[in-house]
Amino acid sequence: MANNDALQQQLIKDLLVESAEGLDRFDREILAIEKGEGTTETPNIVFRVIHTIKGTSGCLGLNKIESVAHVGENLLSAWRDGKVEVSPEMTTALFAYSDALREMLRCLETTGAEGSADYSDLLQQLQDLLDTTATPAPEAPAAPAGFGLFEDEPGTNVPAPQPDAEPVAKTVAPAESDSPASKAPSAAASAIRVDVGQLDKLMNLVGELVLARNQIVQYSGQAKDSALIAASQRLNIITTELQESVMKTRMQPIGNIWSKFPRVVRDVAHELGKDVQLVMEGQETELDRTIIEAIKDPLTHIVRNSIDHGIEKPEARAAAGKKSQGNLVLRAFHEGGQVNIEISDDGRGIDIGRIKQKAIEKGIANHDQISRMSDREAFNLIFLPGFSTAEKVTNVSGRGVGMDVVKTNIERIGGSVDILSENGKGTTLKIKIPLTLAIIPALIVTSGGERFAIPQVSLLELVRLEAEQARKGIETVYGAPVYRLRGQLLPLVFLNQTLAGTSRERAGGSGFMQQQAHDTGDLFLKAREAHRNWLRKLRQVLEGTQTMTLEEAGSHTLCALGKWIYADGLKKFGAVPEMQALEKVHQHFHDAVKEVVAQKISENPVKAEAAFKRATNISRDVFNCLTNAEKRIVENQNINIIVLQADGRQFGLVVDGINDTEEIVVKPLGKQLKAITCFAGATIMGDGKVALILDVLGLAQHAKVISEVRDHALLDKEESATRIDNRQTLLLFDAGAGSRMALPLSLVARLEEFPRAKVENSGTQEVVQYRGQILPLIQVSKYVTTTRPSEPICSDPMQVVVYSEQGRSVGLVVSKINDIVQETVTVKREAAGNGILGSAVIQNKVTDLVDIPAIIRVAAPAFYENHSPAADSTPEMQAIL
Amino acid sequence: MSESKQFCTFFVNGLFFGVEVLKVQEVIRFQDMTRVPLTSPTIQGLINLRGQIVTAIDLRHRLELPPRANGELPMNVVVRSDDGAVSLLVDEIGDVVEINDDVFESAPETLHGVARDLILGVYKLKDRLLLILDTERTINVSAALTI
Amino acid sequence: MPKKIITVDDAMTMRKMISFTLKEAGHEVIEAADGAIALNLLRNQAVDLVISDVNMPNMDGITLTRRLRELPNFKTVPIILLTTESAPEVKSQGKAAGATGWIVKPFKPEQLVALLQRLFPV
Repeated sequence: MANNDALQQQLIKDLLVESAEGLDRFDREILAIEKGEGTTETPNIVFRVIHTIKGTSGCLGLNKIESVAHVGENLLSAWRDGKVEVSPEMTTALFAYSDALREMLRCLETTGAEGSADYSDLLQQLQDLLDTTATPAPEAPAAPAGFGLFEDEPGTNVPAPQPDAEPVAKTVAPAESDSPASKAPSAAASAIRVDVGQLDKLMNLVGELVLARNQIVQYSGQAKDSALIAASQRLNIITTELQESVMKTRMQPIGNIWSKFPRVVRDVAHELGKDVQLVMEGQETELDRTIIEAIKDPLTHIVRNSIDHGIEKPEARAAAGKKSQGNLVLRAFHEGGQVNIEISDDGRGIDIGRIKQKAIEKGIANHDQISRMSDREAFNLIFLPGFSTAEKVTNVSGRGVGMDVVKTNIERIGGSVDILSENGKGTTLKIKIPLTLAIIPALIVTSGGERFAIPQVSLLELVRLEAEQARKGIETVYGAPVYRLRGQLLPLVFLNQTLAGTSRERAGGSGFMQQQAHDTGDLFLKAREAHRNWLRKLRQVLEGTQTMTLEEAGSHTLCALGKWIYADGLKKFGAVPEMQALEKVHQHFHDAVKEVVAQKISENPVKAEAAFKRATNISRDVFNCLTNAEKRIVENQNINIIVLQADGRQFGLVVDGINDTEEIVVKPLGKQLKAITCFAGATIMGDGKVALILDVLGLAQHAKVISEVRDHALLDKEESATRIDNRQTLLLFDAGAGSRMALPLSLVARLEEFPRAKVENSGTQEVVQYRGQILPLIQVSKYVTTTRPSEPICSDPMQVVVYSEQGRSVGLVVSKINDIVQETVTVKREAAGNGILGSAVIQNKVTDLVDIPAIIRVAAPAFYENHSPAADSTPEMQAIL
Repeated sequence: MSESKQFCTFFVNGLFFGVEVLKVQEVIRFQDMTRVPLTSPTIQGLINLRGQIVTAIDLRHRLELPPRANGELPMNVVVRSDDGAVSLLVDEIGDVVEINDDVFESAPETLHGVARDLILGVYKLKDRLLLILDTERTINVSAALTI
Repeated sequence: MPKKIITVDDAMTMRKMISFTLKEAGHEVIEAADGAIALNLLRNQAVDLVISDVNMPNMDGITLTRRLRELPNFKTVPIILLTTESAPEVKSQGKAAGATGWIVKPFKPEQLVALLQRLFPV
């Protein structure tokens, strides 16, 4: 029987599913027993789970699973029959037992074999439990395997006539075996099991249907046939309903993944010596199965984490005046088309001071950033890579996954995580996730002539500024464009610039409006020039110095202006009536031109001349239309701001146009494009063209709306920036933790390393002996006032920049020499303070320029005794300012 | 007795290339593409291939050859990959040819640069050389612009 | 001659296996996940054979057998119980309830087919 293998595979799959469900049930029941909540039915239920696994695996020839199941079955049957009393020892063993079975099943699933793990100790333990507490079960007088009819009795079991089975099997009609689908109604209740792959396929097909529907609805929108319109409306409604129904079939209650948590909580709590009660609310809340899969691991991690770091040991809880049993609450509910999941504990909460300190220690943030952080922002630090507040890595939560991975996983599916905590009282993690991934509502926008889809979940509101408003409404804070949204400053990101890779420095801020007007001007200039050239050519044709085919003359799409109209003009400004007028006038123009060439070909110079006059007249209209269109466009430069939320922060995305909200089918991008974080995928629009789906978080990061506080502060100084064209060679170094500094290389005499042991004290001044001189050492970080933390440098050997002036030298102690670069720097003087001349962006990073004379005056006043520095700063310094 | 293989052939900047027929899903004329911002010019855009979104890789750029003349439309050679279909943009499509393995020679040592990575070998045909492209490597580009 | 057979088992995989084997042998099969469901189904339709597990939720196989025997059209319909070696007493309970025979789990498809041949000799 050829398809026996396939059948066996299918049955094994079924066994895996069924057994997994059974074992979860098993765990729940044993947990209930442990809590003293078991019922008289409990032993029977757990017995049946194992009994089923044993029977089925036996029939499938899985002898190892069968034999392991057999041992458990004996114990459970004794328990069911009241021959064994349940004990804590027994429940623990039973948990280990269900794990063992799971392990074998997992092995079967992944390798196709039962594996070679040895469970003899565990099985012995189960056997001992049976032997010590129960009178040994009267071992069955090993009934001969097989079957029998009671009428044959007594004692005449019919042996299994194996060889005879073959002919029977051969009578099977092939057609029958090819269609195993049941012809009879399945009586196993009103629910049936459907292969998940089948559902995925169905969902894909519905996705395709939605696309086709969108296309038809779009085309029929332009049609006049009422029957077609009616049919397309029906199609529209049916498709929507079908889509909803199919999505529902993929929905699963979140309880499916929560069901293993009682066991997880029990195990983790046991391991850590804690007492935790788990409360689950909203288990019936449904989610798409792909999402269920995606949040399984993050949720497990959070639950472990809550018990490990959140809930205290009973003694500690008692000491804090709390109930000794900790509470862990999982809550799920639908809200606004999203699923909310909350995980709260009543543990010790997050010590915000500890978090902040840790962040500084790990170099994740500096003092300044920390001091500006709200509590909420500070809590969110725990989601940063490399952050863990645990004093020691425990077996429980230190599994190589941090909260950063949890956050990444949740964000990958379009969700968000937020954390709230009150010191001493507890912590709550709030997760919001979309219901489904496959089809999402999205706002379609245009930017730079292309359409983009923005997932509705990240969208907060739309703001449209009319031309006049736009000119006034967009302000800049040191070059960064912002809009005052109800009194709050909303940072703006211009989509076309961000996607063109244009940085804010080059075309940001108030410059944007001018830039846009400028761009429009350029574009129209091109159009005029194109048309003028073409007219010139036409004149030459008339004069006989050029030739032109009739086709070329008559086509309003082949000429340069025609190309402009259809490539740039209408795409960008199609909504402007003057542009539509232009298109028509341009067509008329070519009708006239065709006449010119036709007359020329038929060698009728008078008529050709007359036609040429007509053409030039129409041409005047063409120019007028261009002027009017340009004027209107510049006047009408409305601004569309889409207020988006990413990572808990808001920003405004400026786009050229806002189209519609549509249900889009999310399609993945190829691996070539995975690295571009600005896009979450692509979709196919009603007209069959592909549109990219924006990844709001990725975009925000790319546009640096979400970035270091410090970077903002400095980029903001741009307005007073002065640009120097000559290139400077700069030495880049770190003065202290993470503070980047620069110094013109021309001021540097040498770079040295000194072992710490060589440092001596001369009065209060640290010095080293250097080339027969006493070299005073200055810790740069002590003397520069930056907004960044300055910590004493303790590296050994010390990195020293030797600075010399008029035969004297000092050593500037820095923590690290980074690089020597040649760059044109734009210094912003706003950051100037003691020891700092200003700051500049060097290698894409904000860097402070050190004012060495100022530092020396403070740190080693003796240096300038008997002579004064040439000016306030050295000539080299002045050169770059 | 040597084996023979079938190749789908095409031209890029006058060079004659071949890809094993088994790897080619289909050959289609020029399609409208959606540009992907922030990518290197190797990625020409995205194509809607009957509902499937296919990345189009410009073979001229990928092979470091001069760009196509303005107005010349490339053809799509859609190849299968583990990650779904990918389109290779070529100048012109040639025939499907069946070639005996005994005229195969691995790429000459003197090949350098990107060609060395992407060209599996050469079939010495009567009148010309057929360069065999390693499609997996060819489509293995990370398109993020490094800024 | 093809028979109509009901397989009663709370284990889906087991049901599928039995059902598939029987269908391959040319029979029509209906399924029930426990004794109660089976009893409900069988009140309204006749079958030629009942193959039932013993230990099931809601209604076990022994009870099902007893209840079926109370129905007028089930007086003679063969009822086969799936038993295990470890529970020999089940056999006697089954016999007392009116079962026709037994088959020991685990079994091979061929054994099931052979049992059918015993029950319905050609």
